Amino acid sequence: MLQCIFLLSDSGEVMLEKQLTGHRVDRSICAWFWDQADSFKSLPVIASPTHYLFQIVRDGITFLACTQVEMPPLMAIEFLCRVADVLSDYLGGLNEDLVKDNFIIVYELLDEMIDNGFPLTTEPNILREMIAPPNLVSKMLSVVTGNASNVSDTLPSGAGSCVPWRPTDPKYSSNEVYVDLVEEMDAIVNRDGELVKCEIYGEVQMSSQLTGFPDLTLSFANPSVLEDMRFHPCVRFRPWESHQVLSFVPPDGQFKLMSYRVKKLKNTPLYVKPQITSDSGTCRVSVLVGIRSDPGKTIESITLSFQLPHCVSSADLSSNHGTVTILSNKTCTWTIGRIPSDKTPCLSGTLALETGLERLHVYPTFKVGFKIMGIALSGLRIEKLDLKTIPPRLYKGFRAQTRAGEFDVRL
Amino acid sequence: MPPPAASSRYPSPSQPSGKSEVTDLKSQLRQLAGSRAPGVDDSKRDLFKKVISYMTIGIDVSSVFGEMVMCSATSDIVLKKMCYLYVGNYAKGNPDLSLLTINFLQRDCKDEDPMIRGLALRSLCSLRVPNLVEYLLGPLGSGLKDNNSYVRTIAVTGVLKLYHISASTCIDAEFPATLKSLMLHDSDAQVVANCLAALQEIWSLEASHSEEACREKESLLSKPLIYYFLNRIKEFNEWAQCLILELAVKYVPSDSNDIFDIMNLLEDRLQHANGAVVLATVKVFLQLTLSMTDVHQQVYERIKSPLLTLVSSGSPEQSYAILSHLHLLVVRAPFIFASDYKHFYCQYNEPSYVKKLKLEMLTAIANESNTYEIVTELCEYAANVDIEIARESIRAVGKIALQQYDVNAIVDRLLQFLEMEKDYVTAETLVLVKDLLRKHPQWSHDCISVVGGISSKNIQEPKAKAALIWMLGEYAQDMSDAPYILENLIENWEEEHSAEVRLHLLTAAMKCFFKRAPETQKALGIALAAGIADFHQDVHDRALFYYRVLQYDVHVAESVVSPPQQAVSAFADTQSSEIKDRIFDEFNSLSVIYQKPSYMFTDKEHRGPFEFSEELGSTSITPEVSSDIVPAQQFEANDKDLLLSTDEKDDNKGLSSNNCSAYTAPYESSNISSQMQELAISGPAASATTTQSSFDFDDLLGLGLSAAPAPTPSPPLLKLNPRASLDPRAFQQKWRQLPISLTQEYSVNPQGIAALTVPQSLIKHMQSHSIHCIASGGQSPNFKFFFFAQKEAEPSDYLTECIINSSSAKAQIKVKADDQSTSQAFATVFETALSKFGMP
Repeated sequence: MLQCIFLLSDSGEVMLEKQLTGHRVDRSICAWFWDQADSFKSLPVIASPTHYLFQIVRDGITFLACTQVEMPPLMAIEFLCRVADVLSDYLGGLNEDLVKDNFIIVYELLDEMIDNGFPLTTEPNILREMIAPPNLVSKMLSVVTGNASNVSDTLPSGAGSCVPWRPTDPKYSSNEVYVDLVEEMDAIVNRDGELVKCEIYGEVQMSSQLTGFPDLTLSFANPSVLEDMRFHPCVRFRPWESHQVLSFVPPDGQFKLMSYRVKKLKNTPLYVKPQITSDSGTCRVSVLVGIRSDPGKTIESITLSFQLPHCVSSADLSSNHGTVTILSNKTCTWTIGRIPSDKTPCLSGTLALETGLERLHVYPTFKVGFKIMGIALSGLRIEKLDLKTIPPRLYKGFRAQTRAGEFDVRL
Repeated sequence: MPPPAASSRYPSPSQPSGKSEVTDLKSQLRQLAGSRAPGVDDSKRDLFKKVISYMTIGIDVSSVFGEMVMCSATSDIVLKKMCYLYVGNYAKGNPDLSLLTINFLQRDCKDEDPMIRGLALRSLCSLRVPNLVEYLLGPLGSGLKDNNSYVRTIAVTGVLKLYHISASTCIDAEFPATLKSLMLHDSDAQVVANCLAALQEIWSLEASHSEEACREKESLLSKPLIYYFLNRIKEFNEWAQCLILELAVKYVPSDSNDIFDIMNLLEDRLQHANGAVVLATVKVFLQLTLSMTDVHQQVYERIKSPLLTLVSSGSPEQSYAILSHLHLLVVRAPFIFASDYKHFYCQYNEPSYVKKLKLEMLTAIANESNTYEIVTELCEYAANVDIEIARESIRAVGKIALQQYDVNAIVDRLLQFLEMEKDYVTAETLVLVKDLLRKHPQWSHDCISVVGGISSKNIQEPKAKAALIWMLGEYAQDMSDAPYILENLIENWEEEHSAEVRLHLLTAAMKCFFKRAPETQKALGIALAAGIADFHQDVHDRALFYYRVLQYDVHVAESVVSPPQQAVSAFADTQSSEIKDRIFDEFNSLSVIYQKPSYMFTDKEHRGPFEFSEELGSTSITPEVSSDIVPAQQFEANDKDLLLSTDEKDDNKGLSSNNCSAYTAPYESSNISSQMQELAISGPAASATTTQSSFDFDDLLGLGLSAAPAPTPSPPLLKLNPRASLDPRAFQQKWRQLPISLTQEYSVNPQGIAALTVPQSLIKHMQSHSIHCIASGGQSPNFKFFFFAQKEAEPSDYLTECIINSSSAKAQIKVKADDQSTSQAFATVFETALSKFGMP
């Protein structure tokens, strides 16, 4: 099992060290780790001469765990991911200063999350009851929830209850439950404009503030579009298997109820048509962006970014709509926003190649970004959310949005 | 390279050097210690925070230990936590001072607040000071009986910590028995889970010297207990579920109904949000159904979707861990992801460690139906901005080409790469074209015309250069200017730094000479002269050899150096199937990521606490193959030319066919050594009967093993069957089921230790005494063998684990037997056999 966890800053400084077992791990391991070549250092699982290291990097902070014995690697990585999530949730983000200012909290959290190298509880709701979040956040929380006693040093009642993700008896003056469908579209369009791959990864996110022990049922109008699902532990498996309804007792607060995939979508909402022709050391570039199939809602925050090949010495690009920026690392970003009704946005210009090069051999990949509020592109629709016992002053809300995940257009 | 011992390089320069600040803190703490003024807790908090922040940076603040302890009398929980943290960090180094802390921790263990009771108990157990263990017993005992589950959870883990500080104290206090009853009766799932974790560890460590612990350990795998856990698995949190699933993997089901019951119970775990749970469940499913071929295949279908979701939905680090496992499954069930190949298309923003694994997947799942799409996709990456990925994808195309029967389209793609005029693309492609031609000489016409157009000046990488030179030599008759290109290269002999290239130049010049003597003669002369003068041993020797052969008879030389071409039918895999099987048994472990079984890389010393899994789970039972497996990083290097030396491969097979009678895999290499092997082994390499002949074969290969079968020793009390056979899975099952009937230690004579430099020699030696090896591993000085033997008359088996330490010259054996009454007799036979090891 894990023997030690280190948190390293983006300059390799050890910000925090948590020894978990009797086998002390010297922090010189961090120095060794930091001195490794980049391609090796970035691997999530590394064998050092003395230890096996697991790492994840979040917002510049490296979470490094060490062990000397065989263990499931995914377990270590999953655990580190949870640690990062919980910390970022507690501290309201993750960066060097936040961790250093709140290291006591971090220690406290780690203490409850893992004992003797074996993970205990990583449920944010439970941890929140055991350890008070730092002041600012807790103040905000108590304002938002109107519940001043939210933060306490008492023992979590949930830890002993038979529903480990829920405190025994939360009380709210107004009961609210929100369901968000959040979808990301991953797509690859090849140089002939064909859609090679198009998938949706979606999550049903919920925020629940319900008194007592609510029993909820969420049903979809068209559950058959879902390919593969993963559920929060609160979801009962049988009702889903027999009727495709989600039956559950929700955790208190925000959580991810389920995630799903929808494969083989036929269409993307946008098209991107890039063209590059090169001749005697210069390339002409033109990229057109437009709506391919109207989703029925406005497509917002459209962006297009790409990496200019190394052999490009200078670039002169402009657009008839939106703004174009080229950073010193040769990343070019075209911010379009919404598609105007009167014209097709077009990026055009020339790239000058390094001397000696006639043609371009390496082509950039265009990354597309967009956001559509109010619709889930997979077509998934929520039918209804039922509560077994309806508390007074109940408010239910539903939302949906789709954004681009990894949307690549190749040239 | 071990990490440097000095740990002081990371404190950032802005931090204080320590000394004066620490003294300062010390006096301030001292002032506060006795104070009861209001608000004193706040100032204490600030000071404690400072102390701990120094500690965190790495400044030694152990000198304020006494003051910290004095200040710890407080009711403020955060203050307490900070103090516990500090004490936990420094107690081990200050055993005298930690006596001070015991007092206040013990008091806190009786606090009203369960949180304080729990935390104090945890800190108390984490002090890990051996001479203070007696103070732990009381608080632990009452902690286990506490009415709050939080405290019980911590107490259970505390027992395990105590065990590691002082095993005897823990056992004498009969804590294991208490834990067992808690495990079976406690209402809190976390308490139960911690009991399970602690008991697994304690009993498996105890098992080596206590029969009772051994039985208890076995009882954890009993049917009622397994079902007790599986039936209520949903009550446990996700991490405890992983623990239970790992336990379930080791359970040997009684019949197929049992298997289906378990799979039904666990089916929904595949849908769990935690990837670790999903993967652990997958392992249970795969292991349970190993013996049921049909169901096993259905399992692949069932687990496919959840695994793919994990790959695409998690963070890149999670994808990496999953992808490493998928590769293992594809080897087992090639069809499994064949229609889902698009999942492994690389997205632009993915880190390259994920892309690399995806490329490997695409290579592995390519078959007749999807090759066109996959190769098209891979070709897109060849123009990728990331050069490393571009290279990898070209290699992937090449590997697919070598796997396929219909390579028509792929050859065209490869040739298009050559037209891209990117140096690294050309280099990678040349190597592949070379391999392709070795397998499919019929393509030479198309390839050679394109390859002939490449200027050797543009190629710098040795491997590519060597490939080009090989083709120049091999196809000299089809390339009009081959002799002149070679001549050019030979003239620059001095500037050629790679010995590999120079070797190829020699051979190519020879081959070219036989085909186009007049044009090459001069170049060959220069090459041989330069070669003989070369400082590199191999180059020198080869040049000299060619020279002598030519002198002897040119026709003989031709038949030796340039015989008619023979297509290579299959390239040696860099990893033997035995190794792959073994890794498969270790699914969901680090072995999968390193692509080698854990015995090859985990450090024995530190495996102590996990012997439970180590015993047979990781040293799984498959015929042993040579242990000099290249580390994972080096695989890539080997992959580059897709060739292991075939000699090496045959060595391995030759040896392994000795070890295990079940092993009869056909050989598939069509070069000379396999022909030699046909000479040696007539008929299929069937087990015991070929023992003699495979020795011959080893000798042919020049292994120089003198271990001829010794005459059977003078009739021992127990007669063993020389042709005993036991298949590995049966062995594994038996090993789990049978109790240890005998444990003994012998000395090994010095000759034996000397002979052990080749561990296989022991295996042969024991076999000559009718004791057969089924698995072996380890590295000097620790070797581990699993042997089995059968009684002459009846099918009664003896299983033996033998650990030999070559530095202490001791052998430790554990015997398990069907008929326990004769295990002593067997041990005698074993000892006699072992004592003769290494004797002439």
